[in-house]
Amino acid sequence: MNTTTTAVDFAQTTFSRTEDLRLILGQGHFTADQHYPGELHLFVIRSQYAHARIKSMDLSAVESAPGVRWVMTAKDIEAHGGKDLPSAPPVMTTSGKPQELNKMPVLAREWVRFVGQPIAFVVANTYHQAQDAAEKAQIDFEELEACKNADAAKLPGAIQLHASARGNVSADFQSGDLAAVQAQFAKAHHVSALTIRSQRLFGVPMEPRAVVAHHDPVTQRTRLHTPSQGLLSMQAYLAQCSGVPEQDIDIVTQDVGGSFGLRTGAYSEHVGVVIAARHLGVAVKWVGTRSEVFLSDWHARALTLNGTIALDREGYILAIRFEDRVDVGAYNCYMSSFIGSRNLSVTMGGVYRVPALYMHSEMVYSNTVPTSAYRGAGRPDIAYSIERLVDFACHEHGFDPIKTRRKNFIPVSAFPYKTANGTGYDLCDFDQVMTLALKLADHAHYPERKAAASQAGKVRGLGVSTYVEASGAGTAQMDQVLGQMSEEGVLTIQGVTGPSGQGHQTSFAKIVHTELGMLEKDIRYGSAQTGTSLQGNGTGGSRSLYGAGSAIKNMCAQLKEKITTLLATHWSCSPQAVKFEQGSWHQAGGSDQPGLSTTDVLALLTPKERSSLSATGEAKSGSTFPNGCHVVEIEIDPETGETAIVNYTAVDELGRVISPHLVRGQVHGGVVQGLGQAFMEQVVYDDQGQLITGSFMDYAMPRAGDLKAMNNATVELGTELNLLGAKGVGESGCTGSLPALANAMMEALRPFGADRMDMPFTPEKVWRALQAQS
Amino acid sequence: MTTASITVNGQLQTHEVESRTLLVEFLRDHCQLTGTHVGCDTSQCGCCTVIVNGDSIKACTVLAVQLEGAHVTTIEGLSKGDLHPVQKAFTQCHALQCGFCTPGMIMSSVDLIAKNPNPSKDEIAQGLEGNFCRCTGYVNIVEAVHEAAQAMRVGSRA
Repeated sequence: MNTTTTAVDFAQTTFSRTEDLRLILGQGHFTADQHYPGELHLFVIRSQYAHARIKSMDLSAVESAPGVRWVMTAKDIEAHGGKDLPSAPPVMTTSGKPQELNKMPVLAREWVRFVGQPIAFVVANTYHQAQDAAEKAQIDFEELEACKNADAAKLPGAIQLHASARGNVSADFQSGDLAAVQAQFAKAHHVSALTIRSQRLFGVPMEPRAVVAHHDPVTQRTRLHTPSQGLLSMQAYLAQCSGVPEQDIDIVTQDVGGSFGLRTGAYSEHVGVVIAARHLGVAVKWVGTRSEVFLSDWHARALTLNGTIALDREGYILAIRFEDRVDVGAYNCYMSSFIGSRNLSVTMGGVYRVPALYMHSEMVYSNTVPTSAYRGAGRPDIAYSIERLVDFACHEHGFDPIKTRRKNFIPVSAFPYKTANGTGYDLCDFDQVMTLALKLADHAHYPERKAAASQAGKVRGLGVSTYVEASGAGTAQMDQVLGQMSEEGVLTIQGVTGPSGQGHQTSFAKIVHTELGMLEKDIRYGSAQTGTSLQGNGTGGSRSLYGAGSAIKNMCAQLKEKITTLLATHWSCSPQAVKFEQGSWHQAGGSDQPGLSTTDVLALLTPKERSSLSATGEAKSGSTFPNGCHVVEIEIDPETGETAIVNYTAVDELGRVISPHLVRGQVHGGVVQGLGQAFMEQVVYDDQGQLITGSFMDYAMPRAGDLKAMNNATVELGTELNLLGAKGVGESGCTGSLPALANAMMEALRPFGADRMDMPFTPEKVWRALQAQS
Repeated sequence: MTTASITVNGQLQTHEVESRTLLVEFLRDHCQLTGTHVGCDTSQCGCCTVIVNGDSIKACTVLAVQLEGAHVTTIEGLSKGDLHPVQKAFTQCHALQCGFCTPGMIMSSVDLIAKNPNPSKDEIAQGLEGNFCRCTGYVNIVEAVHEAAQAMRVGSRA
């Protein structure tokens, strides 16, 4: 935990989160802020080529440059026990065989397969010395043809990246029933087909990736400071690829400047810093520059979904089929194949009652940065694809998109509902959610607003999305938390999930306040430190609140029992007579005195009794099904092609809401990340596989004012899938926004014949579409 | 090596630096003021924004040796006895999540309000164009600056 020391009394200020004070004072502690005396600096020599064979490498001039302490190559990594970087387990392929993984080496051996791939590490006394020395490297490359994306990699005659992957296909995967889908298509009255692309993105947490390792030669333990989404996964992954046993690594994560899925596990630089610190017996630090992390943080999305939909005469959906192409980049790292299989397929029927579903995905290598999880990890992409396809089909065949959605919704009476490809949804009410969203968006008067915009020379469009997503099932058996009261009556909770801005401490303290009556100021949350026996999942898949939160609820029940026993002794009554109701403790059948608050009760206990209050809470929680409806109105200026978002309504059904303002904050942030993808963000490689968008000069980011306001509402239907009754919110804003924004653009652009346009809807692309038809 | 003397948060800081040392490196590495963050290497993100002689600047765009004798205020120097109204508004409006962009965002906002005490939301958005945030979606940030400006106007009349 980070503590702040300040002479100023801030008791007069109300804080919306307990995390905020240190951050607004500039007293946050991010990884780059960590210093050790005598620390060395690591610099990465990276490939300048997208695809090449390393013919020879002469690093002697680097080694003899001023200040250089060690120059590390693939051989050194191997000699010190390093292994390749981790990947999620292989996907079971259509042929019934598990996918053959081509994992990324920490440092390139004979081949480099993307621009930015690490080749050597230079460790020197100062950063500048390491950087200057690196320039003296003599590396002779034999440049090869490159596949700049999955489409290029699939062209006949394309160069092959890995010997085991014929046609550059890493795996193929299927879900659903192809024969059933074909039968439905055969009897369909209407069929539509649309290719939908979710372009490659950077995740862009504002804190660039960084890692500092300090080795203690006496204990042989290495302490690692790095942003993570939870210590256990970072520790386990790091142990896998560094060869250092888990028990010899302590991981310290203090403040984390955003994660969005990118920070689950170790990268090459983590391994380099750990091995260097252990070998040299000194602290070693690497802080990525933005340009560097653009070349090396796992990239996002890079998915193409070819969708087809079959409708009957009345517009009821008969079947949906997707043929996906998933660009995994140069290697299998972490989550790409999981995204391309489970996460795309699990909700592929969306919110609709669809008799037949089939998805086939091909994971394809290309000479690009490996892809992995980013805000939704396939969930926004499949929601985007379904909702664009449904909208497209409605317009193509003359159906009203809202009425058609409504009549195809899985009705409340059909829950629990099992989709045609086997996913079980517990309870949703899509009709109620959409009805509220349309009302809040004043959908009824949209035609008047559109006419007025047209009068003013603007092109207005309205888009609707109705989404459902499956949150993360979790990889741990259960989520556990350990609560320990101090002698002073402060409850410290340790869990596995690590915060990176979500406000874990604030929300978890609220749960304790509700369950146990303790004041939120007396509750701390920390992601568990090394040596914990706790099990649990890191942050990811929108599951922290209900995963760890359910365990906290269970912990509170245990603490309540312990307090009851202690209080019974103080009150000289039986524990059964001690009652805790509506935040107040009293004795059944006792005096008529008003009950005691939990604060009063804790004050009544002795310091020793207080510190005896500890409990390990646990809960098993699997996937939930957050859902919602976003309604967007946009206005295009035909003179410039620029689009303004003039009305944004998000109604999300997230189960129980613990912290309404934090939920709004998550939705705002998710929606604007969606807006970034919809209107400006895209990673571009040229035909040689050079990264064209290598800095913020070329990679457009959403800025203040891109979204001026948002109507937010939540519907709390609840869920019995976890103890807390929450469904999670981390990814829903992003998932709901992509299709709503795109459908609004399509409604505006359809009269101009541009309703197959791909994101990002840049002013240039939109302007050209308008010119072509006017 | 050369010497740079800069008054930071009211305190004269004199350090031996390389001539290529940026102001942000001077602050973080020599003054140990790590509240000023580095989020990019092309002066786009605004995480390193500080106030120099009354103007907000990105501390990665200027060399320490160029600022001999200058007065610099960083996030650490903003609260005097109580939180600055902009700091207060940021927490009250939930205008921060991870908090990495927050110091730069707050310093830009302080300068913006100093120069335009009654900004419209559009003016605020325009004024913060040089500061990126990946978590909040900006709506609450603009709201916070609007609230802070109002609080400061009321405060200055009192």
